[in-house]
Amino acid sequence: MMDLFLQTLANALIQSGTYALASAGLALAVGVLHIVNFAHGEFLMVGAFVAYWLSVLAGIDPIVSLVPAGAVMFAASGVIYQASIRRVLLAPELNALLLTFGIGITLQNLAVLVFGATPRVVHTAYQLTAVTLGPVSVGVAPLMTLVVSVTLLAGMYAVLYRTGIGKSIRAVAQNRTGAHLVGLDVDRIYLLTFGIASALAAIAGAMVLVRIGASPHMGFGFVLKAFAIIVMAGLGNLTGVLWASLVLATAEAFVRTYVPGGGGAAEAVFFLLIFFTLVWRSWRTA
Amino acid sequence: MNKLAVVLVVVALLAMGGTEGLAQREQVRIGISLPLTGPASASGKAAEAGYRLALDEINKAGGVLGRRLQIFIEDDGNLPAKGVPIFTKFVTVDRVHAITGIFGSAVGVSIVGPAKLHQPLIAMLGAASPLVERGFADYPYLFHYHPWAYHNMEAVFNFMDFVRTGTGASTIAILYEDGPFGSAGIGDTRAELIRRGFDVPFMESFKTGSGDFTALLSRAKRHPVDVLFWIGFDADALPIAVQSREVGFKPRLIFGTPASWPVGYEGNPVARDVAGMAGWTSASPLPASKEFVKKYQAKYGSLSEEYMAPMGFVTLTTLAAAMNKAGTTDKDRVAAELAKTDAETPVGRLRFKPSRLSPSVHQGFDSDLWMVFQFREGRRVPVWPKSMAAGPLAWRWR
Repeated sequence: MMDLFLQTLANALIQSGTYALASAGLALAVGVLHIVNFAHGEFLMVGAFVAYWLSVLAGIDPIVSLVPAGAVMFAASGVIYQASIRRVLLAPELNALLLTFGIGITLQNLAVLVFGATPRVVHTAYQLTAVTLGPVSVGVAPLMTLVVSVTLLAGMYAVLYRTGIGKSIRAVAQNRTGAHLVGLDVDRIYLLTFGIASALAAIAGAMVLVRIGASPHMGFGFVLKAFAIIVMAGLGNLTGVLWASLVLATAEAFVRTYVPGGGGAAEAVFFLLIFFTLVWRSWRTA
Repeated sequence: MNKLAVVLVVVALLAMGGTEGLAQREQVRIGISLPLTGPASASGKAAEAGYRLALDEINKAGGVLGRRLQIFIEDDGNLPAKGVPIFTKFVTVDRVHAITGIFGSAVGVSIVGPAKLHQPLIAMLGAASPLVERGFADYPYLFHYHPWAYHNMEAVFNFMDFVRTGTGASTIAILYEDGPFGSAGIGDTRAELIRRGFDVPFMESFKTGSGDFTALLSRAKRHPVDVLFWIGFDADALPIAVQSREVGFKPRLIFGTPASWPVGYEGNPVARDVAGMAGWTSASPLPASKEFVKKYQAKYGSLSEEYMAPMGFVTLTTLAAAMNKAGTTDKDRVAAELAKTDAETPVGRLRFKPSRLSPSVHQGFDSDLWMVFQFREGRRVPVWPKSMAAGPLAWRWR
C-alpha cells in the first residue's frame, strides 16, 4: 500500500515537470501582455513537430532539439505578433482571446493538412530507461523534463529579477503607460516576451515528444491544464507555476490511483481546481 | 428578332444540358464518402488509395458495362453533419448508381433516414456499430463489408483463448478509453473473458490522448498480470508502451486494438512484440494479398499497412463485378448479383450472408477477417490465426 502511495507521489512529481514547462510561457504571456493565448497549445505542437522532423531527417535527439524548436517558434511568434497580436492589444480582451483561438485552430488544421492526423513517434535510447529507487520507478525522459523545467523556470526568474531586460519586462507588465512614459520601448518588450513565451511552449513540445509523440491535436489538452495552473498560481505569477503544476499533477495522480473510475475522471480535475480556486479567491476578498 | 434570339439561346442551353445529361448517362457513377480530414483521416486516406487503385484496374479492364467507371469522392470528416449532405448530393445531384465508403458509425447511423427515403444501393466500407445494423433493418440494399463490433470482440476472445492455450496465460488487465469506442460493451467483454476462464483483476478507463498512464499502470503493476489488453486510439499506443517501462510494469504481452497505429511505431524498440489486431497486413500470406501489394507498390511506390486500403479496393472491385454480371445498373439486379459474391480477396474470402441482428442487411466479413500481429524488426508479423501466421507469438514481453 505504501509502495503505491510513494509511486503515486513520484508519478505526480514527474508529471508536474511537464505541466510547469507547458504553463510557464502562458503565465508569461498573461502576466506581461495580459492576453490568454489559446494558441499556446498549438505552439507546443509546432515544437514537437520541429523536434520530430529533426530527429527523423537529421537524427538529432529531441533533447538537443529544444534549442532549434524554441528558436523556430521564437521567430514564428515574431511574425504572428507583428501580423496579428499587436493589433488587438489595446482592444477589449475578448478580441485577443478570439484571435489566439483562431490562430490555434489554423495551426492545428495546417498541421493536419501537411502531416496528417496520425500521431508520429520518435525513438531515443533513454525512452526505454527507468530509474528505480526502492519501490519507486520513474522514467529517465520525464525526469529530464522535470530538470529542464525547473532549470528554465529558475533561469526565467533570474532574468526577470536580476537583469535590466527583466526589470523592463516587469515594468511593462505592471504599468504599460508608465513604462512608456519613462522611455521603454513597450512594443519591443511585448514582442520579446511573446517570443520567449512561445519558445517555452515549443520547448515543452520537444520534451513531451519522447513520451507521447507528435500530433496536430496534442496541444489543446495542455493549454486547458496550463490555464488551470495559471489560475491557481495567480494570473501572471511565474513563480507560482511550479507549485500549481505540482498541485494539479498530484490531484490527478491521486484521483487516477485511488478513485474508482478515476482514469477517465482525472481529466476533469483541472476544471474542479479552477472552480475551487476562483470561489476561494472571491470568498477571501469578499 | 429578340424573340428569335431568346428561343435560340433556350434551345442551345437545352441542347447543352441534354449533351451533358447524355455524357453523364454514358458513365457508371459511384459516390464514395470518406473521412479525409480529422482524426480518422489515416483510415479514410488509406481507403481512398484502395478505391483509386481499384478504379484504375476496372477502367483498364474495360470499365463497367463497357463504359468508364466514374467515382465521386467526398470528405465527410467522419461527421454526420457532413455525411448526410454528401449522401443526399450523391443521390440527387450526382445521380450515382451506388454509394460506398462511410467509415464511421456516427455517419452510418446518420444516413439511415436519407437512405430509406432515396433507397440507393449501398456498399458500406466501415461503420461497425450494431446501431447501424439495427438502423438499416428491413433495408434490402445495404451490403455491409466490415465486420460488426461483436465480430471484432469475438476475434479478441478467440485470440485470448489461443494465448491461454499456448502459454498458460490466465490474468488480464484491461485499459479502455472512456468514449463510445472503448467503453461500449466493456462490461460484457470482462464477463465473457471471465466466462472463458480468465481472471480480470484490474480494469480501468482512461481519457484518450491524455498521455499520462503512469498512475493506472502503477495500479496494474500490483497484480500478477499476464496480458495488458487496451482499447483506445493511436495516440495512446506510445504512452502505454513507454510508461509501462517507466513504472516497471511488465506484463508478458501488451495487446492493443486501435484502428491505426502511430507513424514510426513499427520501428521503435519500445513497440517490439506489442500485439495489435488488423484486418490485414502487407505480410499476409494470402495470394490475393500478395497481388494487391504488388499493384499498390506499382501505383504508389510505397506500402500501406492500413487495412482500409485493401478494404476500399475490395469494395469497389466487387461492386463493379456485380454490375458487370448483372449487365445493368438496375439496383435490384445488381444487389442480386452482389449477394452471390464469392471471391478470394486480399483480406480473405468474401461471401455475403444475412446479418445477425437485421437479416435483410447483407453482411460480408465477420470475425474471420481479423488477424493478430506483433511488431518485430520494424514490421507487423502476423501471429494469429495459424493459417495466417508468419511467425510464432512472442510471449515473454520485455
